[in-house]
Amino acid sequence: MTTTTASAATALGRPGAPGRPRGLATWATLAGRRISLSAHTPREILAPLATPLLFALVIAPALAKLIPAAGPGGADYSTFVIVGTVGLLIPLTCTFAGIGVIVDRASGARRELLAAPVPRSLIVLGNLAVAIAVSLLQVAALVVAGWLRGSHFHATAGGVGWFFGGVLTFTVFMYSVAEVMANRIPTQEEYVGLTPVVAILPWFLAGSLFPITALPGWLAWAARILPTTHALALLRYGVLDHTGAGLHNIWGFTSTTTDAALSLLVLGAWAVVVTAAAIHVFTRSAVT
Amino acid sequence: MPAELRATTGAGEAAVEVRGLRKIYPGGVEAVKGIDFQVAPGEVLGLLGPNGAGKSTTIGMLTTTIKPTSGSARLAGFDVAREPIAARLVSSVVFQDSVLDKALTGRRNLELHARLWGIPASYAARKITELAGAFGLAEVMSRPAGSYSGGQRRRLEIARALVSEPRVLFLDEPTAGLDTRIRYELLDLISGLRSRTGMTTVLTTHYLDEAERLCDRVAVMHRGTIVALDRPGTLLASLGGELIELRVADNPDGALAALRSHGLASGDAFAVGSTLTVPLHGHSARDTLTAIASLGIRAEAVTTRKPTLDDIYLQLTGSRLAA
Repeated sequence: MTTTTASAATALGRPGAPGRPRGLATWATLAGRRISLSAHTPREILAPLATPLLFALVIAPALAKLIPAAGPGGADYSTFVIVGTVGLLIPLTCTFAGIGVIVDRASGARRELLAAPVPRSLIVLGNLAVAIAVSLLQVAALVVAGWLRGSHFHATAGGVGWFFGGVLTFTVFMYSVAEVMANRIPTQEEYVGLTPVVAILPWFLAGSLFPITALPGWLAWAARILPTTHALALLRYGVLDHTGAGLHNIWGFTSTTTDAALSLLVLGAWAVVVTAAAIHVFTRSAVT
Repeated sequence: MPAELRATTGAGEAAVEVRGLRKIYPGGVEAVKGIDFQVAPGEVLGLLGPNGAGKSTTIGMLTTTIKPTSGSARLAGFDVAREPIAARLVSSVVFQDSVLDKALTGRRNLELHARLWGIPASYAARKITELAGAFGLAEVMSRPAGSYSGGQRRRLEIARALVSEPRVLFLDEPTAGLDTRIRYELLDLISGLRSRTGMTTVLTTHYLDEAERLCDRVAVMHRGTIVALDRPGTLLASLGGELIELRVADNPDGALAALRSHGLASGDAFAVGSTLTVPLHGHSARDTLTAIASLGIRAEAVTTRKPTLDDIYLQLTGSRLAA
């Protein structure tokens, strides 16, 4: 790599040229480009936040009045739903970010990026970095809004770690799903049409509004496979329910830490596999 | 052989070297059928041909967005299949369609190119300012590229390609879709590049005047093959200094055969539809027309003119470039 870099710089004949840009600097450049583009389309950031905020600030407190009993693990129902809406916020954020990939392809600078002397996987990873940053900001905004609305979180350092790990791996998974979709689906219209199926439908089945044990038996088993279910159980374990009721509903082990580690492992495995698929699909779509 | 030894191109070594390059798309369409050519450092080569001739597929393979089915290509010594990143580092491409981040300013678009090509920031800043001035874009560099006119966008894209000072510049139909005035402005600009930079340029076009004006040599492409490759002047000289074009009322093939049998047309005369094109090769136009009339060939229209590359293309392929 180094030899090629040096020789290419010589070939360029550019005084003081450093040759091929380094991986980290390139990744930062690509992420910076995506941030610049997102900043010019704030709807990509604001639109995904609207529905979860509505759930967290209006619908959840209203439902809590109808369901006065404590939620699973002793948490109040309103807070239970607020954490549950993270399972809606992240998929919406990531699928909206995927639209940027389609815009790049249809009318943006994708071909310029493909002609650049950078590994094409970094283009996907640059977009992913921005999706993670935006998701973290939005989750923080949702939690703060819930807290201002009177929700009660029980966060410890360890709990925040589980929460952060869950948000991170779930975001990586969801953005990679969006990247695969964006590179496989030819038009923006078709992509947007598929968004509810990918971003919203799993949320209803993943224990967002009620424990998965309330589902019919076969559907409860199906829910245990969904990454969203693992993510929500992990997030609630981190900042809301230290008994890990949601995790126990999935795994049923006596050790909650084991349950949490397994769910994080499942999310991590999903994230790695789908990210690899996203890079593969992108690089294949880049070359005819 | 280590990459660094091959990459430092020596004197006389081709900047672009294509050998047996072939592309068969999924579905079996053979877009490029094993072409060979070389471009010397500093040379401007035009790939000339109508839509579907294989020009853009060739450019796609050279810029590593299309995978060759077989054959090889090198840019400044780098094999595009085995060392794609190094090959991209020494080249830039201006695409046929606008490929800009339209929400970003012109300056930001150029800065991104500089960073991706590893240009030091201070050097890039100077270069961008210089290019913006040279390309008449200094006043609009702070505006989003989406607000640019068609001509400004194209100039911005060419300026962007030059920020990294590529050894090989690809211009894919650089003036396609632009109105005539902007097109001529752009041709001035592109022809000025050569004297300014001396870089190797591969240009695709189906405009004959572009090829004649800008290119040292042109490769005439037809259905995936190169049917002629030479200097424009040499190609034109093959048809002589003057030709007669006549539209006949009926049986153009019979008329052409009659002209040939009477020594009025040589092997390079050709018929397309009802129009015969007859290179004069030093014969007098008046004498030739008189002889044609004496053969009883009824011409509806007669034109005497200098040959163009379109005539070369028609003669070689039987179809018009602008078809």
